Amino acid sequence: MFVLLRQLRTIRREASLRPGDEPRWLAIRHVDAGSCNGCEHELALLGGPLHDIQRFGLDIVASPRHADILLVTGPVTTRMAQPLQIAYEAMPTPRLVAALGDCALGCNVLADRDQLAGPLSELLPVDIRIPGCPPSPESIAAGLLDGLRAITQHPAHSSRVSTTRDRRPPQSGTVWPGHGNHQPKEH
Amino acid sequence: MTVPELIDARELRTALTGTLESGARFVGAWATADGGWRVALATVQGTRVLVCTPAGGRVDSIVQTVGAAVWDEREAHDLYGLEFDGHEPLRTLVDHSAALEAWTTPVRGGGVHQVAVGPIHAGVIESGHFRFHCVGDRILALDPRLFYKHRGLERAAEGRGYGQALPYAARACAACSVANTVAYAQAVEDAVGLWPPAELRRQRTLLLELERAYNHLNDIGAVCAGVGFAPGSMAFAVLKDRAQELCRQAFGHRFLFGAVAVGHGPATLDAAQADALRAQLRELRADAAAAWRDLEFSASLQARLDGVGVLSHDRALQFGAVGPAARASGVVRDVRTDSPRLAYMGFVPASLPQAGGDVAARFQIRAAELEATWELLDGLLSEPLTRSAATWQEPGGGVGVGRVESPRGETVCMVELAAGRVARLHLRSASYANWPALADATAGNLLPDFPLINKSFELCYACVDR
Repeated sequence: MFVLLRQLRTIRREASLRPGDEPRWLAIRHVDAGSCNGCEHELALLGGPLHDIQRFGLDIVASPRHADILLVTGPVTTRMAQPLQIAYEAMPTPRLVAALGDCALGCNVLADRDQLAGPLSELLPVDIRIPGCPPSPESIAAGLLDGLRAITQHPAHSSRVSTTRDRRPPQSGTVWPGHGNHQPKEH
Repeated sequence: MTVPELIDARELRTALTGTLESGARFVGAWATADGGWRVALATVQGTRVLVCTPAGGRVDSIVQTVGAAVWDEREAHDLYGLEFDGHEPLRTLVDHSAALEAWTTPVRGGGVHQVAVGPIHAGVIESGHFRFHCVGDRILALDPRLFYKHRGLERAAEGRGYGQALPYAARACAACSVANTVAYAQAVEDAVGLWPPAELRRQRTLLLELERAYNHLNDIGAVCAGVGFAPGSMAFAVLKDRAQELCRQAFGHRFLFGAVAVGHGPATLDAAQADALRAQLRELRADAAAAWRDLEFSASLQARLDGVGVLSHDRALQFGAVGPAARASGVVRDVRTDSPRLAYMGFVPASLPQAGGDVAARFQIRAAELEATWELLDGLLSEPLTRSAATWQEPGGGVGVGRVESPRGETVCMVELAAGRVARLHLRSASYANWPALADATAGNLLPDFPLINKSFELCYACVDR
């Protein structure tokens, strides 16, 4: 895999984003709610060796039950509105919603109004907005990190985000909506 | 030029059989809001469109003669209310309100159970639902249920001018946006009577091949991911990312949005830019070849590909499979050999010495096609790219069909114009043609092999759902 290593050596050097110094580990669950697949292509690269989102303490996970952030793409079709809601309800709290791409933000070349339930902001509380059609892998990483930084630094939002520092196991008797036996991950 | 042929709906089957016997091939069918039904056929003289208006919304089904038309008829039934005599049972496709029995294959017997997957999948994957009928781990049948991403793009494009409707064709799918928009532009130009000059043909061909390059790099990596071979999937993810960056540097967008227009070509390159792109593509080609060699010598990867997800030659023909998937099954057919509106003079489609129709064959055909694409790109970039506009010919017939070889196969766009506006837009992407073939190739395989089989076809959901 000489080619891979050489590519990484040259391109990483030019990468503008650097891992921050704040300790954090957040899990992202992606839901495609009717995108053109552009956001998915770019998001998939974000987890690849070039952009390596794990450097920033972020990772894409398979289940909403393990996720802190619901990352939604697409204008939310009528057919995806319910699966999206189910995924959101399956997440432990505190949880965040990120709108990825112009369609999720409700401002792109959308389509037939009858087929759309969105925009996302009318269905779920959107915390992070990442514009672009589609946003490049670097803009997705920057959008997520900037959004998280803004939330953690803003006192009014401090209860909406979970970081390694403030995440504690629930007190006995604490109810985690939707799944009584969920325990938060510990790192 | 496409000439719509008005026929009596009762004569459709007869007219179709006659045309097919003379060597024509079905390329798509679509209904219209005023109760019309159209069937498009590719012939050596060009595209023929049979136009009819079935009385009382009932028409004879053509699926007995054209197996590829099954989804077209199911879609026309769900979205436009047409009834098809002889299409039994006519299962729902786009309509999600029907009960499970109305859209799944009846499978009975000892130990048969269903496994439901999706619409949300575990990775960064498009939304769609699969219902597997299994005995143990063995798949007996698969019913894919797509259209979760149905945005009504075709209807939204209707009533708009040619230029305004183009973004709807582009947004059907990012990864096939060049193919979809070139097919759309060709359809409109066919309908109004425009012809692209050599420079415009070269420009669109270049864009199509750039799109194919990053898609094939992606799809080779996807097969590696399908067997959990991380070094391969990572190497090709980086190569694909580099190819997309070249697209952005040259034409301003990583998916080449905005580079295709109706009647002219907005994408230009001066001599220095063309030379730079050519040099960077040569570098990428060398790196891709080295990465592919690594894959060829990885015994653990290669051992997982043979004999999995076989689409036989006969089944590929029967389902009307297209693109690399069809060529991997020995159906050596490529729209690039029949594209007078593009610059593919003397193009010879890739073929394999042993086209087994399995995952291994679909993996290898992409590498072979990638070589041809690098070669084409190198030739196309030998001169700078200048602005050019299509020229008027004799006025068209108001109906146009564009056919383009997308990275996944033949993509067909049909356009009907009225008073200078789009009255009907229909996009039949390569993925649409291949989903039924993919479902068929899955039968008889192990359930855990489905992700691999799926990745080897690497079909879009967005293109199909629209």
